[in-house]
Amino acid sequence: MGALGHFLERQGIPTASISLVREHTETIRPPRALWVTFELGRPLGIPDDADFQRRVLRATAELLERTDGPLIVDYPEEVAEEADFTGWACPINLTPRATDTLAAEIDRLATWHDQSVARTGRTTVGVSGLDMPSAGILLSEALAGHLPPAQALKEAIDDLRAYYLEAASAFPDPGTAKKRKAWLWDETLFGRALLDLQPKLAASEDPQHRILGNLTLIPASERHRLAKA
Amino acid sequence: MVKRLSDMPEVEAHHLRRIECPTFDETPALPGKPLSKRRIALISTAGLHRRGDRPFRPGDGSYRVIPAETPARDLVMSHISVNFDRTGFQQDHNVAFPIDRLRELVDEGVVGSMASMHYSFMGAFPPDAAEPHAQHLAGLLKQDAVDAALLVPV
Repeated sequence: MGALGHFLERQGIPTASISLVREHTETIRPPRALWVTFELGRPLGIPDDADFQRRVLRATAELLERTDGPLIVDYPEEVAEEADFTGWACPINLTPRATDTLAAEIDRLATWHDQSVARTGRTTVGVSGLDMPSAGILLSEALAGHLPPAQALKEAIDDLRAYYLEAASAFPDPGTAKKRKAWLWDETLFGRALLDLQPKLAASEDPQHRILGNLTLIPASERHRLAKA
Repeated sequence: MVKRLSDMPEVEAHHLRRIECPTFDETPALPGKPLSKRRIALISTAGLHRRGDRPFRPGDGSYRVIPAETPARDLVMSHISVNFDRTGFQQDHNVAFPIDRLRELVDEGVVGSMASMHYSFMGAFPPDAAEPHAQHLAGLLKQDAVDAALLVPV
């Protein structure tokens, strides 16, 4: 991010950036940066809080009037961790059973995903161009040993991940985002499938498969949590 | 809440420390008009694009165009990293791509106007891969009479 500030400013376009990782920004020294303490993935702080987001964006934009860069300004507002109501449990039994299948799991989440789309008016599914049953088939085939090209598999998996998390956000008691992410890894056949797929990708002769398996399939935080469990 | 890397869970901090950051000998910080007169573009590094546009790939230093009038329902994210939260973006695109907030700042008179086109790269690109695209982009921004860019990471 910070490098872009240098590139554009050199070409005559003034820039101001939000910084999520202060140490990176201190190294790159872009022209103007507003450092925020928000979670990675949420540079404006809080979803559905327009006033909060507007304050952050305004503070960033106001840095444009300064010419004493490189400068890093610490943004004063913080975001408290989402309240975690213990006892969150999935209202319908999604716990994998011996007779259950990935295809059936994908199918029964469809109604919840529909609920999510109806409520938000949008979905972030749709990078791969596949419908969710087809994405599930691609993943199942990969598990069976027929690894498709890494990019196609990555796009299908990212779509499924968005589909699962959007569906879970529409459950009657959706809990926190953190809980829903743990649910995906701990309680779904999809999460299990990704964990089972990881060593197959890591052992592939195709370097793109190895990048997917080792870096861009399972979040570092989940790997760590699951390794400890 | 995240503070310094030293305050993060070690596994996440370790991942972030491994990212190599480029260094620059000089940092220009150009003067410009008052904010209330500037025309501003948003540039995200969240790997955003319109559904149907080319997804980002590993090492991809190029950008995707997001016209100002793009409906939120057409925005998707194909960043290759899995080490950041996506549920915020799934709930409200503005938490990662604050296009509606920029529009409001224009309506309030804080910002002069907004560009007709906005852009997204995919962050953690190798700088050498992104620089030629960024140079080209600077020319396009000038054609759109853009006076400044707000850079939003993910």
